[in-house]
Amino acid sequence: MTNFFIGMFLSALIVTLLTTRLYRLLFWYGLNSLFLGLAAIAEASYLGDREMMISGSITILLKAFAIPYILKIYAKRFAIERNITPSIRIQYSIILIPAILVFTFYLIDPLLHQSAKNFISISIASLLLSLLLIVEHRNIFAKVVGFLMMENSLFLLAMTATEGMPMLIELGIFFDLLMAVIIINLLLQREANNA
Amino acid sequence: MLELLFLPPLAIFILSFFKTNNIKKLLPVISSLILLPTLLLLFTPNYHSNLFLIDNLAKFILIVSAIVGIGVTFALESLQHHVTIAERQYRRFYRFFGLFWIGMILSVVANNLGIFWVGLEFATLSTVYMIKTNNTSFAHKEAWNYMIVGTIAISLILFGIILIYAAAKPMLGEKAIEFLTLQQHISQIGAKYLFEIGFAFVAIGSFIKMGFFPMNLWLANIERAAHYPVAALFSGILESAIMSGFFRFSLLAKQVNESHLIGFTYIYALLTLFIVAFLIYRVKDFMRLFSLSGIEHMLLIAIFWVSGGYFAALLHFAAHAFIKPALFIATGVLESKGKYHIAGALRGYSGVKGKLFWLIVGLLMLAIVGLPPSPIFFSELFGFGAMVDMAKASHHLLLMFSGILLVLLLLALIFYKFVEIYQSMKYEGKEESKEVYASEVSALVLFSAALLVLLANFSAIESIIQG
Repeated sequence: MTNFFIGMFLSALIVTLLTTRLYRLLFWYGLNSLFLGLAAIAEASYLGDREMMISGSITILLKAFAIPYILKIYAKRFAIERNITPSIRIQYSIILIPAILVFTFYLIDPLLHQSAKNFISISIASLLLSLLLIVEHRNIFAKVVGFLMMENSLFLLAMTATEGMPMLIELGIFFDLLMAVIIINLLLQREANNA
Repeated sequence: MLELLFLPPLAIFILSFFKTNNIKKLLPVISSLILLPTLLLLFTPNYHSNLFLIDNLAKFILIVSAIVGIGVTFALESLQHHVTIAERQYRRFYRFFGLFWIGMILSVVANNLGIFWVGLEFATLSTVYMIKTNNTSFAHKEAWNYMIVGTIAISLILFGIILIYAAAKPMLGEKAIEFLTLQQHISQIGAKYLFEIGFAFVAIGSFIKMGFFPMNLWLANIERAAHYPVAALFSGILESAIMSGFFRFSLLAKQVNESHLIGFTYIYALLTLFIVAFLIYRVKDFMRLFSLSGIEHMLLIAIFWVSGGYFAALLHFAAHAFIKPALFIATGVLESKGKYHIAGALRGYSGVKGKLFWLIVGLLMLAIVGLPPSPIFFSELFGFGAMVDMAKASHHLLLMFSGILLVLLLLALIFYKFVEIYQSMKYEGKEESKEVYASEVSALVLFSAALLVLLANFSAIESIIQG
């Protein structure tokens, strides 16, 4: 089951790279986080790990619903441009994305005895793909979504490669994510005042 | 003892909510109180729990950044004379300064890799807001830039930390998240390749944060956009916190595969230095000059450290942490009323304060490139000695020597430019009268006194390495 959810996670990320509308982007981000949370819960029930169950649920609540919703409110309040065309053309992206995927599988190839080998390469690939998302857009919101996607790939790595980080660190990450969203609000406010 | 460290920044944070003017005078005094716990820590034995680690290195970095923090709070007093800034924003600046300091202390004393990261992230996010306090559109743009690039860098560091944890967990279990345990058992871990990928991520993340290749202009732009105390904090404290992480991680990587570590760091450093030297050569204003030279010094510290010149790296680290914030604080006066011309910047000072100011700034300008009495001169001497030793022991003698030679050549270019700028500041251009405030001079005096103390205490730094 974990495999399925992680596959869906990756496909949601790839679709995000090709999106040209802001609200769609937020929707795909939410879906991406939802699959991440589901994968965490599936993995946790397999391992019998309660802490991971909790952090998976927090992921779903916070990243799949709360953050996209808050970002949508911000986008409305500050009248952010909703048409976001990537500066890398779609046809080049379609070549780049599989190239990145193949590269990460090649990079991780010397790891012979690691059980989570494929998952590590998928999380490195999603890290690079989120970087691509940040690079290819000029819109601030798309960049922020790229950063949030990067956090998701971190979470995926923490979940699969280490069978769950200590709870303290995951809570720290969530806390920082919230702080980042608050800072985004503050940054946007000033821009609105100036305009 | 550890809790006492957090009290002064916390007090600054809380007091910044009060609306009277008297508080403003109180804040530097409160920030000076941080010297008390740091000095007490210096004379207590090393201590570690599963969350915190206070060893000699942490004590050293704490005391260096405490002095920088105190100096910056002194200089903040006269901020309003140089830039127009509303009272509310001023207080908010102090508030985020307190938060920043807490995050930085957390990351320096962390034993847990996660705590280290949380502290770093805390410090990063609070500086985003400090940049924004400057009320210009350039500052807004750069604050956004910093938000994006800084968090990418931090995320890369966390990614690396998770990979390192994953590499060590099969052998060490939950304890794999602690620096000290990793340090003791790293040579026995099985998944060496995974560890090295993790280290590469951590190193690239911290290098991006310090403005190495390919992000050279990024840091210079941010420091130009922010107020000058923010730039002082960046170079004096934030880079110290990141560097302390790099120190610890590279010690681990050294035990796993030393030649990979050295090759990686040298190639990165050479690329950076190549670009930075030419950027410095074409520089037009002080802020950019100092922040680009900050990148140069950071990469020197990194390569001294990985080459085994620990003493040189620490000496260079402390000297840079004192000189660079002092210079950044001085830019407030040198570029008075937002004029960026370099020619004649050291002329036109009157009174005792003015004379003292230009004397100290002139000396610091020459000290930063390593003219003899400066600690940077000694650290470069020892550092290059260590590099040559390492080259002689390696299998690629000729390659290493040509690398070292290239570094020296590019440093000579930077040295030439700095001396030229100094001469232009002192002997060219029109003479305009400039105002110097007591707060700046006191910060500069504090930093130069710290520098002298550093010069007199080489043996103390040596004991850090042995301890």
